Amino acid sequence: MKRRAFAVALGLSLATVGVTACSSGSSPAGGSNTIHVLVYGDASNKVEKQIVETFNKTSKVKVVLDTIPGADYQSKLNTIINTPQAPDIFFNWGGGSIQPYVKADLLLPLDDMIASDPGLKSNFLASVFNTAVIDGKSYGIPMRGTQPVLLFNNKKVLADAGLSVPKTWDELLNAVTVLKGKGVTPFALGGGDQWPTLMWYEYVFDRVAGPELFQKALSGDKSAWESPESKKALGMLKQLIDAGAFGSNFDSVKFTDGGSPALLAKGRAAFELMGSWAYATQQDANPDFAKNDLGYSNFPSVPGGKGDPADVVGNTNNFYSVLKKTKHPQEAAAFLKLMYSDEFVKAQLAIGNLPTTTNTEQFLSTSASPEYSKYQYDLVKAAPSFQLSWDQAYPPAATTPIHTAVQQFFSGKLDVDGFIKAMQALPAS
Amino acid sequence: MSALSSVSASGRRTRTGRRSGVGVTRPGLVWAVPATVFFLLFAILPLVLVAVLSFTSWDGVDAPTFNGLDNWTKLLHDPVMTQSIWLTLVLTVAGVVVQTPVSILLGVWSAGYQRNRAVLSAIFFVPLLLSATAISVVWRAILDPNFGVPSQMQWLFGDGNLMGSQSGAIAVLTFVGMWQWTPMHALLYQGGARAIPQVLYQAAAIDGAGKFRQFLHITLPQLRNTMITSMILMLVGGLTTFDTVLILTQGGPGTDTTNSAYYMYQQAFKSFDFGSGSAIALVLVVVATLISLAVVRFSGYDKMRSTSEGL
Amino acid sequence: MRRRPNYLAGLGSLVWLVLVGFPLYVLLISTFRTRSSYSSEGPLSFPEHLTLQNYVDDFSNGFGQDFLNTVIVTVSVVAIVLLVVPPLAYAIVRARGRTISTVFRVFLLGLAIPAQAVIVPMFYVISKAGLYDQLIGIILPTAAFCLPVCTLVLTGAMRDITNELYEAMAMDGASPWRVFWQLVVPLSKGGLSSIVVFSALQAWNGFLFPLILTQSESTKVITLGLYNFQTEHGVDVPGLLSAVVLSMLPIFIVYLFARRALVQGLMGVGGK
Repeated sequence: MKRRAFAVALGLSLATVGVTACSSGSSPAGGSNTIHVLVYGDASNKVEKQIVETFNKTSKVKVVLDTIPGADYQSKLNTIINTPQAPDIFFNWGGGSIQPYVKADLLLPLDDMIASDPGLKSNFLASVFNTAVIDGKSYGIPMRGTQPVLLFNNKKVLADAGLSVPKTWDELLNAVTVLKGKGVTPFALGGGDQWPTLMWYEYVFDRVAGPELFQKALSGDKSAWESPESKKALGMLKQLIDAGAFGSNFDSVKFTDGGSPALLAKGRAAFELMGSWAYATQQDANPDFAKNDLGYSNFPSVPGGKGDPADVVGNTNNFYSVLKKTKHPQEAAAFLKLMYSDEFVKAQLAIGNLPTTTNTEQFLSTSASPEYSKYQYDLVKAAPSFQLSWDQAYPPAATTPIHTAVQQFFSGKLDVDGFIKAMQALPAS
Repeated sequence: MSALSSVSASGRRTRTGRRSGVGVTRPGLVWAVPATVFFLLFAILPLVLVAVLSFTSWDGVDAPTFNGLDNWTKLLHDPVMTQSIWLTLVLTVAGVVVQTPVSILLGVWSAGYQRNRAVLSAIFFVPLLLSATAISVVWRAILDPNFGVPSQMQWLFGDGNLMGSQSGAIAVLTFVGMWQWTPMHALLYQGGARAIPQVLYQAAAIDGAGKFRQFLHITLPQLRNTMITSMILMLVGGLTTFDTVLILTQGGPGTDTTNSAYYMYQQAFKSFDFGSGSAIALVLVVVATLISLAVVRFSGYDKMRSTSEGL
Repeated sequence: MRRRPNYLAGLGSLVWLVLVGFPLYVLLISTFRTRSSYSSEGPLSFPEHLTLQNYVDDFSNGFGQDFLNTVIVTVSVVAIVLLVVPPLAYAIVRARGRTISTVFRVFLLGLAIPAQAVIVPMFYVISKAGLYDQLIGIILPTAAFCLPVCTLVLTGAMRDITNELYEAMAMDGASPWRVFWQLVVPLSKGGLSSIVVFSALQAWNGFLFPLILTQSESTKVITLGLYNFQTEHGVDVPGLLSAVVLSMLPIFIVYLFARRALVQGLMGVGGK
């Protein structure tokens, strides 16, 4: 009797597992004749899909494109990178974002591939390519567009206020006063996301102290944060915050959910400091505004500052890195070669991304917004320094502490010394 | 539910009733095996692992390596951790203090059998139908300072910077928690109130006690057991508040609403410090288990003999 | 007996009506207005033109797939619960000995283990088992975390079955198997419907396990879809809120037709 009950129970539970196993939707990296490519899910996926189709037309080994929605990309990647579900090729930001994986010996150095096809290196702008070089070895191939941070503006609001685009810090301060008088928030800021706030630090620190200060800090010299330049930059930010340049509710506003772009588009704010992708965001969400009233400029210069006013900060590009465990390194190399093909460049330009290949320039006129693409291309090409975003330059473990410190200084919870201490406490790279 | 605060007669019957006669076949332990194995595998094993992992360093990439008490000493000296415990307490206590009176009033009110109450109750309990995710998402949209309700009700919300200050963010979390949970607790109290014998009220009325005094001297004392159940549920719920924090404030501004559950998530899945995350989780487990033991002891769940007693 | 109105509670109920009705008004009305009407006129005004476009858009944005995944997860979780809990509850109520009461205590302790507390090792176990980013990887832990409450509810229901009935069955020489099917299951229908509703709700509304244990479009469930929608296009409030309405629709239908069973199940939800 007992035995029978047991058999039945066992049968039932096995049936359960069987049923549910069958009904579960997707299967993991299955066939051995595929290469899984994992990318950050957003509007740019259109091009990635197109390139994958092109590749699959001629290749026996097929590429499968997997996407993860933006906000969780880094954590999901980290989740699977050392499991059987890991992709063969994945999207990243170069720099600190792949450092832990290099350290864990998961990534394939691309130098052999480059040796057999030098074009994998020579066809890209060197300043960009080098972002994914770690300890002298190349680990990434640029695969989207460069994303400098620009100061976007609402032309109509500026015209109504009788202002022009600020070229210097003093003009910027003046604009704040005038706009406040008009009841317009000078700068839209998605403080709820925290990283938009960080962009202000990146530019002000660069303009005041030049790119060297941050490089020094990143390489482990914590005294950089308490240097006079650092304190001066923080003082200038504080002055801006206290003048109400960002309004008072920026910590409740986000860029990612479309909040701060809407403020700019609806004329409730005059400027927004944001990555170049904001152009595409506006085109998507507020097409009329993007067409008629969206202006952009480089960050103003700071008189007496050490930084070159032509410097830019932002994401140099995104990269494809290859995992060591891939079974198809040759096909992976063939896939990566497409990242400097004419088709790739044209497709990226068509959706407003700006690739960083040497042949980009000849196709600029085919861009969705040629004027904007040309502006960015010239800006990046002429920039003496292109600083990778701080939160990408440091390894992922430092991201949260950086964002927290940046937010707390803006909200007044940390003073200058508190901020310096917080930055000095970051895990070194 | 109607049996909530009265140990039901049918329950007693089993206990005091005749012991089973000879020849009654009983199921063997094998009947319990599938569920037990399944539960051990997917609930108890992780529970053991969380303790193990809390003594390791693990970034999710390499294999975990033991690092002794490192995570624990780090947590002891981590101001964010200390603050997160304090915040967890504040959020939990605020939840209990705000939700209890509202649920009691609502529950007692809806216990009446009048038609208008029945109709209104149907509306009152709608928040029950929404998931925590949906509720948080809705309130996030409603409370947006520029495009939500605050922009149209500035007399009430000012500049709408609700998530920009610690007190504002805590108030929002407490309010949304109340919106989410009050209907459930009100249902508990509704059941409790309906189980109060009408004789008590009739006797009090004869003595000349008004409605208010009846509420104070009969309803409230009779609801004592319900209150215990409800508060314990609130405590456990408050302790583990996560969805609302993730969606409404992301623990911000800064770390101002980073409660322990959210900090655990952040340490483990954002900063990839799974060891520290596990240590925080273990603290949660210990506290939750203590509360669970209290549940069992206070309510006598394990001795319970009837259908929805204690629910 | 009819009681006179209770003014104190009546006042509270009025306040609550506003607190519940107001957001529900915003929620519903926003789903029928265009995005531009929402951002220019604000959420409170009544829109000039009503539209169903937001609902249509939700489906072209993949809500159908999310819905299907959620249905699969929900049905599977309920199936597992129905397969393992009734035999367990039967054993707890009828079997003799210390082992079975220890088993019961283990499940009772499980009552207060918050899912958050074990999410890190759960993630470890699921990814080691190769179940990461598959629906089964959500189904198994979700079902496991339904067991304590379901066991408690069902044992409660089964204890109401009197000894006399068991003895009558025993007279006929019935095996435990027959007793289970012909006596225990039919007489604990109320408890069974409660645990079905409870576990279905847990699965339908579950968020943490999907958040941590899945990542692809093809395995996305509704709650995760709402979260992603909010983090990516939160400014499209009408689209977001119509997805919220769609997500609660099945539960609302159950609420209309089987209110009692739903409420019973919901009370169990509170137990977590």
